Amino acid sequence: MTHLTVDKPPRSRPAPAARPGGLRRFSASSPSWLFAAPALLVYAAVVLYPAAAGVVYAFTDWSGIGQDMSFVGAANFLALLDDEQAMGSIGNTLLLTLAIVAVQNGVGLLLALGVHARLRSRAVLRVVFFSPVVVSPVMVAFLWKYVYNPDPSAGLNGLLGLRIDWLGDPSVALWSIAGMVVWQYAGYSMVIFLAGLEGVPKELHEAAMIDGAGTFQRFRYVTWPMLAPAVTINLMLSTIGGLKLFDQVFAATNGGPGYATETLSTVLYKQAFVFGKFGYSTAIALVLALFVAAVSLVQISYLRSREVAS
Amino acid sequence: MTDLRNARVSRAQFFRMMGGLAAAAVATTACSTRPQTTTTTTGGQSATELKFVGVSDQKAPMDAVLAGYQQAKPSVRLTPSYAPTDQVQTSLRTQLGAGNAPDLHVVYPGNGSAMSMSQIAGAGLLADLSAQAWAATIPTGFKPAFQLDGKTYMYSAGSSVIGAVYNKKVFEKAGVEQPPTTWSEFLALCGKLKKAGVVPIALGAQTPWVTQLITYALVPSTVYAKDPTFDDKQLAGQASFADSGWRQAMEMYLELQKRGFFNDNPNGTTFEQQTSMVATGKAAMAIQVSAVLPDFRKAASSPDDLSMFPLPGADDAASVWIPAGVVVGLGVNAKGKNVEEAKAFVDFLGKQENINAWAKAISAIPLTQDAGSTIDPAVESFLPFTKDRAVPFMDQRWPNAEVQPVHFAVVQELLSGKATVDEALKKMDEAYRK
Amino acid sequence: MRRTFVLEIVMVAVAVAFMFPVYILISLSLKDPAQISQTPLALPAPPTLDNFGKAWSAAALGPSLVNSTVITVVSLVALVALGSFAAYFLARAHSRLGYGLYILFLLGIVLPFQLGMIPLYELVNDLGLLGTHTGMILFYTGIQLPFTVFLYTGFIRALPRDYASAAQIDGASHLTAFTRVVFPLLRPITGTVLILNAVFVWNDFFTPLLYLGGSGFETVPVSVFAFVGQYVSDHGLVFAGLVLGALPIVLIFLLLQRYVIKGFSSGLKG
Repeated sequence: MTHLTVDKPPRSRPAPAARPGGLRRFSASSPSWLFAAPALLVYAAVVLYPAAAGVVYAFTDWSGIGQDMSFVGAANFLALLDDEQAMGSIGNTLLLTLAIVAVQNGVGLLLALGVHARLRSRAVLRVVFFSPVVVSPVMVAFLWKYVYNPDPSAGLNGLLGLRIDWLGDPSVALWSIAGMVVWQYAGYSMVIFLAGLEGVPKELHEAAMIDGAGTFQRFRYVTWPMLAPAVTINLMLSTIGGLKLFDQVFAATNGGPGYATETLSTVLYKQAFVFGKFGYSTAIALVLALFVAAVSLVQISYLRSREVAS
Repeated sequence: MTDLRNARVSRAQFFRMMGGLAAAAVATTACSTRPQTTTTTTGGQSATELKFVGVSDQKAPMDAVLAGYQQAKPSVRLTPSYAPTDQVQTSLRTQLGAGNAPDLHVVYPGNGSAMSMSQIAGAGLLADLSAQAWAATIPTGFKPAFQLDGKTYMYSAGSSVIGAVYNKKVFEKAGVEQPPTTWSEFLALCGKLKKAGVVPIALGAQTPWVTQLITYALVPSTVYAKDPTFDDKQLAGQASFADSGWRQAMEMYLELQKRGFFNDNPNGTTFEQQTSMVATGKAAMAIQVSAVLPDFRKAASSPDDLSMFPLPGADDAASVWIPAGVVVGLGVNAKGKNVEEAKAFVDFLGKQENINAWAKAISAIPLTQDAGSTIDPAVESFLPFTKDRAVPFMDQRWPNAEVQPVHFAVVQELLSGKATVDEALKKMDEAYRK
Repeated sequence: MRRTFVLEIVMVAVAVAFMFPVYILISLSLKDPAQISQTPLALPAPPTLDNFGKAWSAAALGPSLVNSTVITVVSLVALVALGSFAAYFLARAHSRLGYGLYILFLLGIVLPFQLGMIPLYELVNDLGLLGTHTGMILFYTGIQLPFTVFLYTGFIRALPRDYASAAQIDGASHLTAFTRVVFPLLRPITGTVLILNAVFVWNDFFTPLLYLGGSGFETVPVSVFAFVGQYVSDHGLVFAGLVLGALPIVLIFLLLQRYVIKGFSSGLKG
C-alpha cells in the first residue's frame, strides 16, 4: 500500500486530469475520466436509459400494446401486496436462491479443493466440471427435462433405480430446478474458489504442518481466511443469479406444476407477455431490481468487512 | 394520457441522439459492420419483402402454400420465421408494443390470450380484412373467432377438433371393436385396456396447454349441450364455472385419474412423451387436438396406426357435443409498411385451393369446402357433430388472457392433489372476473 | 501418496457421475427413435449420424454460424476495448467520480432485463438497427459492460502500479502507458472476459429472436430453437441440434480454458 502516497494528486494543483485535454497532459495521477466515457455512453444508451424509461410504465395501466394508457399512481405496487400468486412466488424465489447459493458454493468449494490437489487428472477434471457453464441455460434445461423424465427406465430414474417425478411433483420440482442450476454452475464457483486457493502461499501450509496442524485445522485456519475474497464474489454472483433466475425455470416447468415453481421473474414475465399487464409487470420488475440491489449491497458490505477483519 | 404519448415522441428523439452517439462510439472504438438493407433485388427489379412471424406449427402449412405464391406474385417475397409459441408471443408483444410488428404475424382466434384477435384488434393493430372474398364465407358459428365488432381481422384455414387420438393396433390387440359413444362405454373401454396391460390414456400435463384438453373435450357435453348460450350468460355475469357443468367435467377428469387410467406422473410427462407413448403403443389413447395428428404420425412406425374419435362426455349418445375450434391463424399488421401487399397475400391464402392446402397440412377441416378439399380420415367421425353439436374452444370467448393460464395451473394442482375442484373453479371464476 | 491416489479415484468417480447428462445428450443424439424408446440408457448400438445430418440441413446452421461468429467476435472486441479503458480509470481514479461510476456500472448487474425491454427495442428501431449485426453488437456491448468492467477493475486494482508509473515518469501519457504497459498485463483477465462474454453472447436466445427474427441474419440459438420447436417429439434429432449449436462455444472454451482460471486467480488477489 506504499503507492498510495505517490499516487495521491497534490491538492494544490488545479486538477489537470479532469480537463478534457487531460489525455495528453497528465502527471503520475489519476487517468482522465475520458477513459470511461465511451463505455459509459454505450452503457447508458443500452442499459440505464431504457431502464429509466421503462420505470415510467410501472405507474401506468398499459397493456403492452396500443395507445390506451393512463397513470394509476402507486396502484400497481398496492396490487402486488394483494396478489397471492406474486407473494407466493417471492417465497419460491427465496427458497430457490438459498438452495442454489448453499449447494452450488458448497459443491464448488469441495470440487475446488479436490482439483487443487496434485492429481494426475486435475487439468482434465477442471475442464469437465467447468464445461456445463459454457452451454446455454435453455439448452441445459431442455436436456435436464429429459434427464428428469419420470419414466423409471430412462434418465436419472433409470440410472438410480428411482421412481421420482422430478419436475411433476409440486413438492420436488423446485429442488429439481435447483439441482439443474447447481449442476450447470458448480464449476463456475469451483473456478473462483480455485483461484482463491492458488493465492494461498505454500509456506503458510508448510508452517502450519510443522506446527502439527491437521488437514481440517489447516483448512480452517490457513486456507479459509485466505478464501474470503473468493467467498464474497461467489456468494454475490450466485445470489444475484438465483434471485433473477428465469430461463431455466421457464424452460423446465414454466412455473408449474400449478404454481409450485413460480418465481418473481416468471410472474413478471407472465404478467407482461401472457396476461397483457405490462404496467403491473414493470412494477414487479422494479421491486425485484430494488430487492436484488439491496440484498447484494448488504451482502457485499458485510463480506468485505469480514475480509478486512480476517 | 395524451401527455405521456407526447412524452414518448420526445423520448424517441432523445433515444436517437443517445443511440447515435453510442453507435458512433462502438463504430470508432471497434470495427463496425454495415447495417444491411432488407430490400432484395430479383432479376433487376426490386422486390417488396413481406415479413411473417409465426409459431413452429405454422411452418408446414406455410411451406405448402409459399411456392404457389412466389409463382403468382414474383414481385413480392415473403420471408417467414418461426419459433416456439412462448418465444413468438414474447417477441411479438414487444414488437407490437414498440409499434414495429412484422407485416404478417400469428394471431390466435377469438379472445382469451395476449396474442388473440380481439386483444390485438382491440388495440387497433390489425388491418380490416372484411372486404376480402373469403371473409364473406365464414360460417356464422365461427364468426366470434374471426371478427370483432362485425369486422374480420384474422385469417384461418379451418377448424380442428379435440377428441381421443388412438392407436388402432393397441385397440385391436385388446379386442376393442367399436369406439365408445357414451361416457360409461368410454370408462368400460379404459378398464378393458388397462386389463390388457396398456396405459389407457397418455397425459402429458407437464406441457401447460395439454392440461386443458380433457376439460375442453368434456365441457361441450356437460355445459353447452344443456345451455348453448352459456358463454353469453357468463359474460353477463349470470353464470360461473363453479355453478355449471364445469364442475362435472372436472370431476370426470379426476375420475379418470382415480381409476388409474392415466400414465403415472402426468405432471412430469411432456407432450412429446405423451405423443410417443401412443405412437409406440405403450398407451392406447391421448385426448388431443387434431392439429397435432402429424406429430403422432411422425412418431409412429406407420402413420395409418392412428385415428381419432369424439370423447363422449355424456351418458346419452344424443347429447354428446364436441369442441371444434378455429385453428391458429394470422393477421395483417395495420401499422406495417406494406399493408396492401400483406392484405393481398391473405387474399391469396383465402383462395379455396390454398385453404385446402393449408388445412391438409395440419389435418384441419377446411373453412370452406369444394371438390378439391380433403378431410383427414381420422377426423371423419367428428363431421356429424360439426353442424349443430359443436362449440368453439372455450378460451376463445373468455374476456381476458388470465383465465386460460389459471385453468392450466389448477388442472396441474388437481392432478397432484394440491387443490380441490371447489378451489380450482373458484380460482378460475376469480380470474374470469378480473 | 496413497491419499492422493484415493482422492484421484474419488474425483474421477465424481466427474463420471457429473457427466451423466452429457452422456444422455450425446448417446441420444446418436440413436434412432426405436433405440431411444427401447434402450434409453444403453450405448447407441449401432450409433447413427443420421440425426446430425438432418439437424444440420433442417436448422440451416451454416449461415447462422457466420452471423453468430461476426456478432460474437465484434462484441468481444468492443467489450475488451471499452471495458478495459473504463476499468483503468475506475481502478486508478481517487475521486468520488470514479467510485460513483463504478457503482453505476455495478447497477447494471442487478437490473432485470425486462425493465428496459420495450424502450430499448424502440431505440434500436429508431436507429434503424433492427435486423442488423450492428444493433446486436451495440446491445451486447452495453449489456455486458457492467460485468466486464467489474472483472477488469478488480484485476487492475490488484496490479502493482510501478509499471505504469515508471512509464509515465518516462514522459508517456496515460494513453500510452495503458496501451503499452497496462493492457498487456491484463492478458489473463482478458481471457476470462473473452470466454465469459463469448458464452453469454453466443448463447443468448431471446434478444436475437426479437431483433433479428425474420431478417435472414438469425444466430445459431435462434435457428436451433426454431428447429427444436418443430421437431420436439424426436429427442435424437433435437439433441443432435443442441450438440451442433453448442459445439463451437465448447471448442472456444477448450482453447481458452487455462486463461479462465488464471484470470480469476489474479483478479481475486485485490
